[in-house]
Amino acid sequence: MEYQLDIGAVTRNMGPLFQGLWITLQLTLAANAIGIVAGFALALLTTSKPAVLRWPAMLFVEFFRCTPAIVQIVWFFYCVPMIFNVFWGPIFMGIVALGLNLTAFNAEAYRASIQAVPREHLDAGIALGLSPTQRILNIVLPQALRNSVPVLLTNGIGIFQQSALVAIVGVADLMYQGKTLATATYRPIETFTVVALMYFAISYPVGQFVNWLERRQSYT
Amino acid sequence: MTSSANGSALIEIKDLHKGYGPNIQVLKGLNIEMMPGDRVVVIGPSGGGKSTLLRVVMGLEQIQGGEVRFGGKPYIRADGRKTIIDNDVRKQIGMVFQHYTLFPHLSIMENLILAPRKVHGESRASARERGAKILERFGLGNKADAYPSQLSGGQKQRVAIARALMLDPKLMLFDEVTSALDPELVAEVEQVILNLAGQGMPMMMVTHDMWFAKNVASRVIFCASGVVVEDGPPEQVLGNPREERTREFINRVFHIRA
Repeated sequence: MEYQLDIGAVTRNMGPLFQGLWITLQLTLAANAIGIVAGFALALLTTSKPAVLRWPAMLFVEFFRCTPAIVQIVWFFYCVPMIFNVFWGPIFMGIVALGLNLTAFNAEAYRASIQAVPREHLDAGIALGLSPTQRILNIVLPQALRNSVPVLLTNGIGIFQQSALVAIVGVADLMYQGKTLATATYRPIETFTVVALMYFAISYPVGQFVNWLERRQSYT
Repeated sequence: MTSSANGSALIEIKDLHKGYGPNIQVLKGLNIEMMPGDRVVVIGPSGGGKSTLLRVVMGLEQIQGGEVRFGGKPYIRADGRKTIIDNDVRKQIGMVFQHYTLFPHLSIMENLILAPRKVHGESRASARERGAKILERFGLGNKADAYPSQLSGGQKQRVAIARALMLDPKLMLFDEVTSALDPELVAEVEQVILNLAGQGMPMMMVTHDMWFAKNVASRVIFCASGVVVEDGPPEQVLGNPREERTREFINRVFHIRA
């Protein structure tokens, strides 16, 4: 039996897909808000001198870098309620799980940017009489934050794609709505192609923007 | 030696010891006394401790022994494993580095006024006015709003000198400031330093340019293996050295140039 493509089966049912996309965007934006702020704080800890601050921070980063995101999400959804006896809504759980993952990766982006500021600039700051705090605020952070933007955006768009993983724990995101629709219409090819195109339509422009930003920064 | 013990020295470096780790000793009991009118050029083989010496005087390095006095007052001394540096004294010294260390995220004017505003609490208007004057004097009047990436190496290095002068230093340190420049850009930077020398700015510098050393120095110090080997007027140290090691070095350097 030949499979007859019927794209109309999907285009007639775009409502749930857009609802799912909206959830996905909420997950992405909220996880990025967490990752951008907490990642910076974590980077300050991983670059700090006292071992009691540095070691736990580095352990956190390594834990998230060295385990699959899907395992992190499943663990978070099933184990956190059992261990800590807290029950949050699935979207909130998803945001926190994705946010923690992004925090670890963004911390690495910030750390690399901080360490990429040339040592000579700090020497010049000392020679100009700037205090350690003034050197960090006026020399290190402005350069580091600027340099970290492309990586933060790349990580951010990465979490947009990774967020599809929360569909398996029942968050009604774009991927979840796609699965539901594909099952209801028996149209997996059409449905998942459209779902993929929707992810692509958002990721691609951001990726191009990052490329443009990097080219522009490499000239300055 | 042009030393004198009358206490009016600008910088006194006594028995300076500096190493990196237990096995690498860079400065091994170095002594220099610099008078207020001196323009000291430090020459010597690489690895001999020249740049380290300047970095110590700038207060950028930990030392393991000895002391540095500035204007008769204690400035840097080794105290056990710690190095004690008087920050107020340090602020009277300016330094320019080999690689133009302009801050890339700030415009030329912002580079100039950052320290006067943050360190001395000068108003933005007053600092900008002084900055504009000094840029004008250095032939960079139209570059105030440019960013470092838009300048040539020679222009950047002149801005770096201007930035240091904004703080009215009593001593300027120049660490191989023309070494990273294309040959045709060296002269414009050396001219700025020669002008400063003409105005009586005390300076200590490391350079590989013997022509420049001869023209700018009132005193040349040959430094090798972490100690001062020879110290005297340029005619002596560059022209007719007394020490055999200086003679060897000078012959090698001038041989390459000829």
